[in-house]
Amino acid sequence: MRSVPKILLPLGVALVLLGAWHLGVRIMHSDLFPTPFDVARGIMELLREGLLLKYIVASLFRVTWGFGLAVLIGVPLGLVLGWYAHAYMAWNPVIQILRPISPIAWIPLAILWFGITDAAPVFLIFLASVFPITVASTAAVHNMQPVYVRAARNFGLGQFQLFRQVIFPACLPQILTGIRIALGIAWLVVVAAEMIAVNSGLGYLIIDARNAGKRYDLVVAGMVMIGLIGLALDLLVRQLEKFDEVRWGYAGTAR
Amino acid sequence: MTLRRTLVLFVILWVVAVTLLHCGLNLKMFDRKAAEKSTQSYRIGFLPVTCHLTCPVTDFINRQSADGGIFEPVRFASWPELKEAYLSGHTKATFILAPMAIALREQGVPIKIVYLGHRDGSAVVVHKDSNIHRMEDLRGKRIAVPNRYSNQRLLVFRALKQAGMTLKDVELVEMPPPDMPAALYSHAVDAITSGEPFMGQAELDGYGRVLWQAKDVWPNFISCVLAVSEDSIKNDRPWVQQLVNGIAQSGKWLDTSMDHRMEAAQFVSKNYYNQNPRLLTFVLSKPPDRVKYTKLEPLKPDFQEIEQLGKESGVLKGTAHFEDYVDPSFAQEASLLPAYAWEEKK
Repeated sequence: MRSVPKILLPLGVALVLLGAWHLGVRIMHSDLFPTPFDVARGIMELLREGLLLKYIVASLFRVTWGFGLAVLIGVPLGLVLGWYAHAYMAWNPVIQILRPISPIAWIPLAILWFGITDAAPVFLIFLASVFPITVASTAAVHNMQPVYVRAARNFGLGQFQLFRQVIFPACLPQILTGIRIALGIAWLVVVAAEMIAVNSGLGYLIIDARNAGKRYDLVVAGMVMIGLIGLALDLLVRQLEKFDEVRWGYAGTAR
Repeated sequence: MTLRRTLVLFVILWVVAVTLLHCGLNLKMFDRKAAEKSTQSYRIGFLPVTCHLTCPVTDFINRQSADGGIFEPVRFASWPELKEAYLSGHTKATFILAPMAIALREQGVPIKIVYLGHRDGSAVVVHKDSNIHRMEDLRGKRIAVPNRYSNQRLLVFRALKQAGMTLKDVELVEMPPPDMPAALYSHAVDAITSGEPFMGQAELDGYGRVLWQAKDVWPNFISCVLAVSEDSIKNDRPWVQQLVNGIAQSGKWLDTSMDHRMEAAQFVSKNYYNQNPRLLTFVLSKPPDRVKYTKLEPLKPDFQEIEQLGKESGVLKGTAHFEDYVDPSFAQEASLLPAYAWEEKK
């Protein structure tokens, strides 16, 4: 019984919003702004031409690699910075300076360094997601219960084992929250990252549709697809929270 | 299953699947034919505007011939990215705004203009219902130009001067040409000017009215030129010559007959610009001299005028001159060549 409203409620809200959108366009008599039906037709057109799959794959590819590298570098870096007070002292200001710089500001440098290959958007997505992951990991170590470490010390664990067997698992729930936020950000910057002259991707779809004259239905189609895939990615990452290794961290705050 | 095993399995599967799909669908790595095509390292940057039309036309005609393409056209969405790709060496040659090329030269970039992209092919368009009928009516109004280094900005400057006004009498805003029609439609700006087909689009969709065409204010107006690096001129002279020849021949081909223009409108819209063909069809024919592709040799008086206007309007310093930023040696051979003999098979 509980699962029925869980689906029906958000679906109802979506339908109401779509209806308001449609009515809004009708009332404004706008030639340029598309109705939901125009957008649906635009999506069907992309699907028929085989472009939709291509573009989704291209965007997912770039986010996968950019975000993947950010996790591989951000988590260890964050743990080290959280654990060694001196490293934190030395590096934290630099990270806090780099963190607020929008990936869009990096576009010129990305083109100069990587040309107009896939490496440029991957780099931009990496930049956007690595700092939230690092900061979340650092904060996770700072918030860790000191009793875990003291116990581990009593068992005579070495430095590396300490990281692998105590600090990392203890921080995992908080790190995953950071990763979830970072994934949202990585997907958010995909449009900006694909403004560089790569010739595929959902961001490119939006830029390309602007070039194509009066194709604002495709602009909105790109936006809709980015939104829907973002939702799917978030649901996917949330599945991680179901595992025992992580779930304990959310105990007490569980819904 | 434990978290770790599930995660490792899933991540590996995901990365492999997405990467393979991307390599196959978008990079065409598994497609032999496409792989051969992209082995040419000579990329040329262009924007989907009529000022750069000879770039895709040359490429298309070349690819239909036995010899195949001589370069790989790379489409950009806006000027800064096009410029940066050239500066990073990613594109060997590029279609670029003439004052931008001159400004780059002034800043020490080894860039040489070897040929023009077009003549004319710009307009100032205002909203259909506006009261703007003369240049004087634009006093205090907001005009969108593509870039501070665009010749359209100089065009407006020149028209203002002719009407006894200065840049202080109007508000100029920089805007990517594709965004201009919508900005005019929503009254975000009072007038727009850029290369075609974006001016034609506002006209065609019924909310834009041409205030004047570029050719009425500045006869033989040049907005974009073909530029290459000094390195290419030194090391790849034959290729640069081949490129300039191709641009010259396709320009003449475009101006030989209206049929050619209509064919070009179709294949360029479809294969290169990804626009509705009616846009190019419209701007290449109404009127036929809206944009021209002959007499494209770079001439000193034209550029002296651009330099002068650039200096007066404050975008150029005036430290680089014709001899510094133009290499006219390729144009001599190219301008003697006939139009491409290519005809579309019906």
